[in-house]
Amino acid sequence: MQSQTQLPVNPEPNIEKTSTQEERGISPFRLAFRRFLKNKAAVVSVFVLFLIILSCILAPLLTDHDPIQYDLTKIEQGPSSEHPLGTDSSGRDNFSRLLYGGRISIIIGFSAMLFTLVIGVTLGAIAGYYGGKVDNIIMRITDVFMILPFLVLVLVIVAILEKVTVGIFVTVIALTSWPSLTRIVRGTFLSLREREFVLGAKAIGCSDFRIIFRHFIPNAIGPIVVNATLMVASYIVAESGLSFLGFGVPQPTPTWGNMLSEALNIRIMQYHPEAWIPPGLMILLTVLCINFIGDGLRDAFDPKSNKR
Amino acid sequence: MTKYIIRRLLVFFPMLFALTIIVFTLLKLAPGDPYSQMMDPQIDASVFEEQRKARGLDDPIPVQYFRWLTDAIQGDFGDSFRYKGRTVAELIWDRIPNTLYLGVFSVFITLIVAIPIGIYSARNPYSPLDYAATGFGFFGLAVPNFFFGLAVIYIFAIKLGWFPSQGSISKPGLEGFELLKARLHHLVLPGLTLGLASTASYMRYMRSEVLSVLGSDYIRTARAKGLTERTVLYKHTLRNALIPIITLLGFEIGVLLGGAVITEGVFKYPGIGTLFLESIGNRDYPVIMAITLMLGFFTLLGNLIADILYAIVDPRIRYD
Amino acid sequence: MLKKKSWLLFLSFLFTFGILAACSGGGGEETTSEETEEETTTEEETQEPGEKVVVGAMDTAPTGQFNPLFYTEAYESNIISFVYETLVSQNENLEYEPWLAESWEHNEDHTVYTFHLRQDVTWHDGEPFTADDVVFTYKTLASPDYVAAGGVRTYVVQRLLGFEEFSSGETDEFKGVVAVDDYTVEFHFTEPNVIALADAAFYIVPEHVFADVPVAEIPEHEASLMPEKVIGTGPFKFTDMVEGEQYVLTKNEDYWAGAPNLDSVVWKVVSGQVILGQLESGEIDFVADPTGFDPADYEQVAAMEHVEIIEEPDFGYQILGFVHNFRTEEDIEAGVINPDNFVPNPDLQDKRVRQAIAYAIDREALIEALLHGHGTVMNSPIAPQWWVFDGDTPEQYEYDLDKAKALLEEAGYKDVDGDGFVETPEGEPYELTMAYPLGIEVRERSAPIIQGMIEELGIKVNLLQPLEFAAYSDQLEKNTEWDLYLLGWSLGTTDPDPSGLWTATDAYNYGRWNHPEADALVKQAITPPEAFDRDFRAEVYKDWQVMFQDELPALILYARNSLWAYNKRMTGIDHMPWSFLNDPHKWDVTE
Repeated sequence: MQSQTQLPVNPEPNIEKTSTQEERGISPFRLAFRRFLKNKAAVVSVFVLFLIILSCILAPLLTDHDPIQYDLTKIEQGPSSEHPLGTDSSGRDNFSRLLYGGRISIIIGFSAMLFTLVIGVTLGAIAGYYGGKVDNIIMRITDVFMILPFLVLVLVIVAILEKVTVGIFVTVIALTSWPSLTRIVRGTFLSLREREFVLGAKAIGCSDFRIIFRHFIPNAIGPIVVNATLMVASYIVAESGLSFLGFGVPQPTPTWGNMLSEALNIRIMQYHPEAWIPPGLMILLTVLCINFIGDGLRDAFDPKSNKR
Repeated sequence: MTKYIIRRLLVFFPMLFALTIIVFTLLKLAPGDPYSQMMDPQIDASVFEEQRKARGLDDPIPVQYFRWLTDAIQGDFGDSFRYKGRTVAELIWDRIPNTLYLGVFSVFITLIVAIPIGIYSARNPYSPLDYAATGFGFFGLAVPNFFFGLAVIYIFAIKLGWFPSQGSISKPGLEGFELLKARLHHLVLPGLTLGLASTASYMRYMRSEVLSVLGSDYIRTARAKGLTERTVLYKHTLRNALIPIITLLGFEIGVLLGGAVITEGVFKYPGIGTLFLESIGNRDYPVIMAITLMLGFFTLLGNLIADILYAIVDPRIRYD
Repeated sequence: MLKKKSWLLFLSFLFTFGILAACSGGGGEETTSEETEEETTTEEETQEPGEKVVVGAMDTAPTGQFNPLFYTEAYESNIISFVYETLVSQNENLEYEPWLAESWEHNEDHTVYTFHLRQDVTWHDGEPFTADDVVFTYKTLASPDYVAAGGVRTYVVQRLLGFEEFSSGETDEFKGVVAVDDYTVEFHFTEPNVIALADAAFYIVPEHVFADVPVAEIPEHEASLMPEKVIGTGPFKFTDMVEGEQYVLTKNEDYWAGAPNLDSVVWKVVSGQVILGQLESGEIDFVADPTGFDPADYEQVAAMEHVEIIEEPDFGYQILGFVHNFRTEEDIEAGVINPDNFVPNPDLQDKRVRQAIAYAIDREALIEALLHGHGTVMNSPIAPQWWVFDGDTPEQYEYDLDKAKALLEEAGYKDVDGDGFVETPEGEPYELTMAYPLGIEVRERSAPIIQGMIEELGIKVNLLQPLEFAAYSDQLEKNTEWDLYLLGWSLGTTDPDPSGLWTATDAYNYGRWNHPEADALVKQAITPPEAFDRDFRAEVYKDWQVMFQDELPALILYARNSLWAYNKRMTGIDHMPWSFLNDPHKWDVTE
C-alpha cells in the first residue's frame, strides 16, 4: 500500500469554459480530443500503453512457457535463449510471467478504477447535487469508510474466503478507495450548484437527472477523468505493495507486483537484475504512460492551464 | 461556522462508535485468535484454553465488545496479548514519537521539494526542467515504496555507507544534540522513501494549481494593472494555490500516522504502522482496536479541517 | 526572478542534505561520551576504542517480555539466554551437565532429585543465589494464577509432587521443590520421572526481586521488562535498549565462571533483506537463531572472506500431513479431542495411497531446489541429534514414481475415464484437498510443487489458497474438508519424547492419527522403571519410528539446516547443535 493512493487533482474546475465552448458549437469532448492530440507525451503514452496491453493480451503467441509451471532443475537461472529473462525461485519462466502477470496487474488497475468510479461518482454526485441533509448523510458514511482501516478489511476477507480471486481483490480496493473520489466529485458539484446556468436550468424546470448529466458531469469530467487515470496507476503500484505485505494476489498467479516483491532481496538485486528490472520497468512504464495520459487529459479538459 | 464545527465534532462520536463496531465484528469474523499462532508441542493446548477463558475470548462477541467499549470510554484500552505485561496505551505511546518524526520529516521533504519545483514547472510549462520534474514526479508515483526503500538502502547504506538503514537512532542513551543528529541521520532514507510518492503528487498538484490560478481573470487583471510579476506571483498566485495544498495536508494526518507500514517495515523503524500490521497478524485485538480508533479520530479531524479550509477558500461553498 | 528563487530553495534543500550527509561521517565512530549516572551504561554508550563489542542481528524485535517465566518468543530468548541460567545444561550430545547445580543425585525410584548448588553465584545486583530462588521459580510456575497471567510453561512443573493441589489453589504449600539448606534443593515428583533433568533445566529467577509481587503482576513488573531492572545470574547483564531496535548486554564482571572477555553484546533488529549486506559490511558480527540467513544466500555468504558459516541440522521439520480422521462437529464445538468419536477420512484411509504419495514426492529435489541443498531428508519424526533416532530401519521412501503408481493401482485407484487422474476403486472421481499457510517463503513455494508431484502420480489435487497463519491454525483444528496440509514443527531439545504431536489425543496431531499401538509405545518409552534404561527407550522408539513411517500420519518433507554466520574477528565460538549462543563469556574479538 502506498502511503497515499491518490490525491485529488483540480477539485475546483474552471467553470467558465463551458459557455464559451458551447458558443463555438463544438462539443467539449471533440475540443478536448483535439487539444489532447497536440500533447506529444500523452499521444506517445497512449501508443506505448497500447503496445504493453497488446503484448499482454497476445502472451500465448509470444511465449510457449506456462507462467505457473515450475521446474525444479531450473531455479533462478540467468537469461538464456529458452528463458530470455531467466527463471524465478521456483524455476518458472520470468518472461512468460511478465506477460501473463501484466494481464492481471492491468486488469486489477482498470477494473478497480471503474468500480471505484461507479461508487464514487454516484455518491459524490448525489451528495454534491442535493446538498443539505442528503449531503450530510452521504458524507458521514463516506467518512466512516474513509477511516475504516484498509488492512483490517483485507485481512478479514483474505482470511474468510477460500479463494481470493482478482475480482475480490478489486472489490476490496474499490470499497476502500471510493471515499476520496466521492469527496472530490461532491466538492466540484457543490461549487457548481450555485452557478447561474444551473440555477437557470432549474428555473426552467429541467429534471435533476438531466441537470446532472447535461451540466454537472460534463463540467466535472476533467477532474474525474484525471483522477481515474491516477487511480489506475496507483492501484497497479498498490497491488505490488500489498504483495510485499503478503496480502496481494497469491502465488503462483503472476502479477507484476508479486514478481517484484518475490525478487526482493539484496542478493537478487545485485546478481539477478533480470528478475526484478523487467517487472519494475513494466510497472514504471505503465504507470508513467497512464499518468502522462491523465496529464494530457487534464490539459485537454482545462484549456486555461494550457497557456504557453 | 462555529455552529457547523461543533456539529461536525459531535458527529465524530457516533461515527467512531460505528467504526469500532464494524472493526470489532470484522476482527472476530476472521478465523484465529491471539493464541492460535502459539503452537508448541511442549505446551499443552489446554493452557491456551485457560488463557482464552481468563481473557474473556470465549464470551459472546457482543459481550466482548461492550466490555471493550466500557473500558475504552474510561480510557482503558486493555493489555496487549502479544506484548505480555504491556498495556496498549504504553505500547502506542512508545511508538507515536517515531511515527511523528517520520511523518513530519517526510512532509517537510515533500513540501520543500514539491512547492518550488511545482511553481517553476507552472511558470515555465513544457520547459526541459518541467519535463524533468514531470518525469521525476511520475517516476515517484510509479515506484513501489518497498522497492525504492530497498534500493536506497542498497545504494546509500550498504554501498556508500552514508546513512544508516535500520532503526531510528544509533544507540541507546543519546542525549541533546547527539540524539537529534542521530535521529535526523536515521530519518533520511525512510523519510525520502515515505515522501517520494507524496512529493511526486504534490509537485503535480502544485503545478496544476499555479497554472490554473495564473490563467484566471484576477491575475490577468492584476497584470493589467501593471503590478510586478513578483507581486502577482507571491501576493496573488501563491496564496491561492497554496491553500488547497494545505487542505490536502489535512487529509493526510491519518495517512501519516498509520500509512507508513511498508516504509517502517523495510527500515525497521518502530512506529505505529508496523505495530498495526503485526497486531493484525497476531490478532492482538486490543492493539488493533486502539490504533483503529486513534487513526479514525485523526482522519476525521483532518477531514474536518480540510472542509473548513475549503469553505474559507471558496465562499461559494456554504455549509448549512 | 522566480527562477532564481526556486533554485535557491533547491540549493537550500541540497544543503540540508549535505549537512545530513556530513553527519554520517561521524555516525560510525561516535566518540562523544555521555554523562549518565550509572557507570555500566556509560561504558557501553561511549564505545571507547579498544572496547570489545559484538553485534548480533535478528529480523524481528522482541516483544519486550524478558522474564523467563513469561516470555513466549524466540526473540526474547536471545536476550534471556545471556542473562538467566539453569541448574543443569546440555552438552553437544544433549546429555545433562552441571551448571548452577554442581552435582545431583536421585533416590532409588527416581522420585526425588537432590541438587547441590554452586555457592559462588551471585545475582546481577549482588545478592547471593540460593536454593530459595529455585524454590521460588518452580513455585511461581505452579501457582494458581500463573496461566491466567499469561504463563505457558506448566509442562516444567506438572510432574512435580503436589502440582495439582497447589495450582488449583487447594493448598498453599508446594511440596514439589523444597530447599534443604541454602545450597541444596530437592525436586519431588509424583511418579518416578524419566525426564526429571529436563524438568530441572529451567531458567531460575531471583526470589528477592519478585517475592512480594503477586504472580498476576509479574509480567508487568519492571524487573520483567526494563533494562538494568532485569536481574539474572548470567554472564551478561541486560543494561540498555532502544525499544524495537537495539538490546544491549553488558558483561557481568562478577560472573561465577569468570568475567566475560567481551565488554558487550548488542542485538540489533535488522530487516531480513538487509542482513546479508550488513554482514558483509561488518555492521553486524553474527546472525543466528531464530533468523539465520537464507539458504539462497549461501554462496554469497560463503564468498565473504571475513565470515564463517555454521550449518547445523534443525531441531524440527516440515511435514505434509495426511488427515486420517476428522473430529465431529460437536467435539469441535466443545473443544474436545475424543478418539472414539473420530470420523475416518475416506480419501486417505488406505495406507497404500499415503505411501504412494510418499514415494511420489521427490524430497531430494525439493531440498536441492528450494533450500539450495541446505536441508536434510528425514524419515523419522525424532530429531537426528538424539540417541533414540533411527535413520535406517524406518521406511525411507526414496523417490520412485513407478513404485508409487504400482501402489496406487494395487489399492484400486485407476484412471477409468482417461482424464489423466485416477478414480476411486468404486469409480468415483477422486480429488484431494491440500492447504498451506503463509509465513515461510520456502514452504509457500513448495506447495504448488508438491501439488504437481502428486498430480504426476495421477491424483488430482485441489490446492487451496494459502491462509495467513492465525487463520490457518484455526482452520487446521476445525475444518473437516482438508486431506493434506503443510506445517512445520520445531522440536524441544530437552527430551526426544514425541508425545504432544503424534498421539491420538494431542491437539497438535492435526491429522487425528489414531493408532493405539503407536500411542502405547510412546507411553511405554517414558514409563518407569524400564524407561530409565536408555537402550530400552531407544528400542521402543525404534519400533515407534518404524510404525510412524509405515502408517504415515504425515510425510516428513525435510529438515531445513540452520545457517548461522559470524565475523571471523569473533573468537571462542563454541556453538551447540541447537544454538549458537553457548558460553558467550568465552567469546572474544581480535582486531
